[in-house]
Parts: sequence; C-alpha cells; structure tokens
Amino acid sequence: MGIKVRSVSLAVAGVILAGSVVAGCGLTGAPPNAGQSASVNLSLTTVPTVRSVTVSPASVTFGNCTGGLASQNTHSTAGKLGFPNGHCLVGLVNPGFYPITVTNTGIASAIYVNGSSANPFDDGNQWSLCNQDGDGAEKCKRDDGRLPGTDQYMVENFSAVGEQKAGIRGTPSCDLEFGASGNCLAVQGGSQGEGIELIGPFFSTDTSTKWTMTITWTPVPGNG
Amino acid sequence: MHLRLGLTAALGVLAVVAAPVAAYASVGVGVQAGPVQLAGVAHPGGTYELPAVYVVNTGTEPESVAIRIERISRGTGRTVPGAWIQVSGLPSSLAHGQSARIPLSLVVPASARPGQYFSDVVVTGSAALVAGGAHLGVAAATDLEFRVVPGVISAGWFTMPSWVLLAVGVVLAFALGVVLLIRSGISIRVERATAGAAAGNGGGGGD
Repeated sequence: MGIKVRSVSLAVAGVILAGSVVAGCGLTGAPPNAGQSASVNLSLTTVPTVRSVTVSPASVTFGNCTGGLASQNTHSTAGKLGFPNGHCLVGLVNPGFYPITVTNTGIASAIYVNGSSANPFDDGNQWSLCNQDGDGAEKCKRDDGRLPGTDQYMVENFSAVGEQKAGIRGTPSCDLEFGASGNCLAVQGGSQGEGIELIGPFFSTDTSTKWTMTITWTPVPGNG
Repeated sequence: MHLRLGLTAALGVLAVVAAPVAAYASVGVGVQAGPVQLAGVAHPGGTYELPAVYVVNTGTEPESVAIRIERISRGTGRTVPGAWIQVSGLPSSLAHGQSARIPLSLVVPASARPGQYFSDVVVTGSAALVAGGAHLGVAAATDLEFRVVPGVISAGWFTMPSWVLLAVGVVLAFALGVVLLIRSGISIRVERATAGAAAGNGGGGGD
C-alpha cells in the first residue's frame, strides 16, 4: 500500500513539473487579499551630457599667398602657392583677422587640433604634414625644422592668443590658440576665432595644381 | 525693360538673403560624454557587445560619421588596438540635429595581455568644408575602458539566445517527468478493440 502511494505521488509530481514548464515556467499571480497599488509619475530634466564642437563658416579661402622664386616663375600669386616654401593664409596675422570660428557646443572639454597629409587631385604623391619638433608628425627637413622639405608642408594656426609657430601635429593635440591662459580648455559655448597659415613644400614631386587637406578640431575629455 | 529690371532686383535680393545663410553654415559633431565601458570583464579569445555609442550632428549641414579608436585623452591602462573594436550600423548620413546610436563590439584576441585597457572612441563628422583647398573637419572623443583578465570565456553561455535556453529547459523537464512516471510503476495500456468484438460484447450484455 505504501509503495503504491509513493508511486502515485512521484507520477503526479512529474506531470506537474512538466506541465508547469510548458505552461510558462512556474505559477505566477498576485497573492490573495493583496492591496491595490498607487503610483505617481515624476519627470526630471538633466543638463546635456554630450561632448561636441562646431566649426564655421562653411566657406573660407586661402589667400594672401607669398614667397617662391620669381626667377623660376614659381613665385606665389594672390591665391596660388609658390615654390619653394610659399605661404598662404586663411585670415590675417597682422592686423588680426580670424575667419574660422571654433565653438565648444557640448560640456567643458579640452579642444584638440590636428592636420592631415595633403592630397593632390590626381591621386599622386602626397605632401606629408611636418612640424618643427617632429612631434606627432614628420620633422620638417629644411632650416633646422623651420621649413618643409620636398613633399612636406606645415600648418600653423593662429588666433588673438598667438600663433602655433612650431606647426600643428598629425595627431590630435591641445590647441594652444584656443585658451587665453595657455591651455585648451573650453566651457560650454566657449569659442575662438582662428586663422591658418600654410607653408608649402620646398619642391613638389607631384605636378598637380589642386590639393586638399583637412584640419580637424576635437573636444576630448580632460582639462587641457 | 521693366521685366529685366525686376528680375535683376529679385536676384539681388536673393543674393543678399542667401549670403548670410552660407556664411553661417557650420559642420559639427557630438558624442556621449560618458565613457564606453564593458559591463564585467573580458577574457582573451572572447567577443563582447559594448554599449552603443551616441553620436549627433551638431552642424547645420548633413554629414556622415566615421568612428575610429585612438588614444587621445589621459588615462591609465594599455592602449586599445583599433582592430579589437568592430563598428556596425553606421548611418549613411545624419541630418542637422539628428542622432544615432552606433553598436560596438569588442573582439579580444586569444593572445591579449591581461590588464586595464584605455583609449578613446573618436567620432568624425565627414561633411568637410572646402576652404580653398583646406577642409575644416570636426571630431569628438569619449573614453573607452575595459579590463581583460585570464580565464575561460563564460560569455558564450550567457549570450545564448533565451529561446534556446527555454527549449533546453522544456526538454529536460519532460525527460525528468518521464523518468518519474516510469519509476512510479504506473503503466498506461493502450488496447484496440475491433468492431466485431465490441458488438459481441454488447450482445452478451443483453441477456
């Protein structure tokens, strides 16, 4: 009699177990006599937590090009870079004219800047970005690093704060022209007007007359 | 004559109105300020889903975005190799003010050295502006942090789809039920009765 009861119990347990799994892995439901719940909806607004930057205006032009050799007919004209080591400007160093506005539109961040190689329209040989120290870019090959060599070029950015005479890097680094106190920290809404000076190569092995390069501003975490 | 004067005046007004619009066009990009962190630790040889990173076009022009991994900001730990992070679902273009969440995956090679890893997720807005040959670009960076520890990859089980786990549970429960049924000693007997036999049985009952 005892064995029979145990057998029946085991069978019932097995059926219940299998059935409950199939039905949805267990029994659910509110306990009997549970009270009704009440709730209140709350809303909260927070400050933005985005790190962002904008650069304007949409269109500026290199101009005021100087340098080059008139005797070889490679001297600069107003809007065309000459060789060797011609200079072109976006804006003016003196008197100060800074047509590029960089604005920190996000939370307080350090504003970094970097350049890229210059690419000819014919997809030929690039000009490598160089600077005086060879820090984050090639070291310029002429005049102890102060002037680009063959297929090299240098970019200096300037603002009311001063001019980055050593040349910007190929990797993002603190834009010292952004902060008035020698750092690059910008609070939300902080902006800076900047200009660009480009110093061209001693000589270009690519004969293209149209080139593109990119100057990029990046807000990064940190205090500059 | 009057028509020509009117057309000239209209074009002049259009030029005056359009000029400021072009002058104030800007390119901009934003990224979440909070760091991208892996929940838990990573093991060599494992693949993990990182939280999707929020990006937004803060400029006035449509632009596409690109993501790269580069160590820019200050932090402690080994530099994350760019090849470890896979980016999927990049939108082809973001309109002014439009945002997106970009999924990221972390693929840790089996040869990875244990320790803390740190780099930046750098989002670049590609609506470059032509500046007489110079493009003015924008980017924004946020931290990327995770830790690699030695050990077996446990993520495989936990990343198994839930329906697979449910199916396995159902099969195991049925098997357990069948075993319990057999051990109970109860047998189910199925018999098939023919029509003739059923009739004979019925006739016998009528006496």
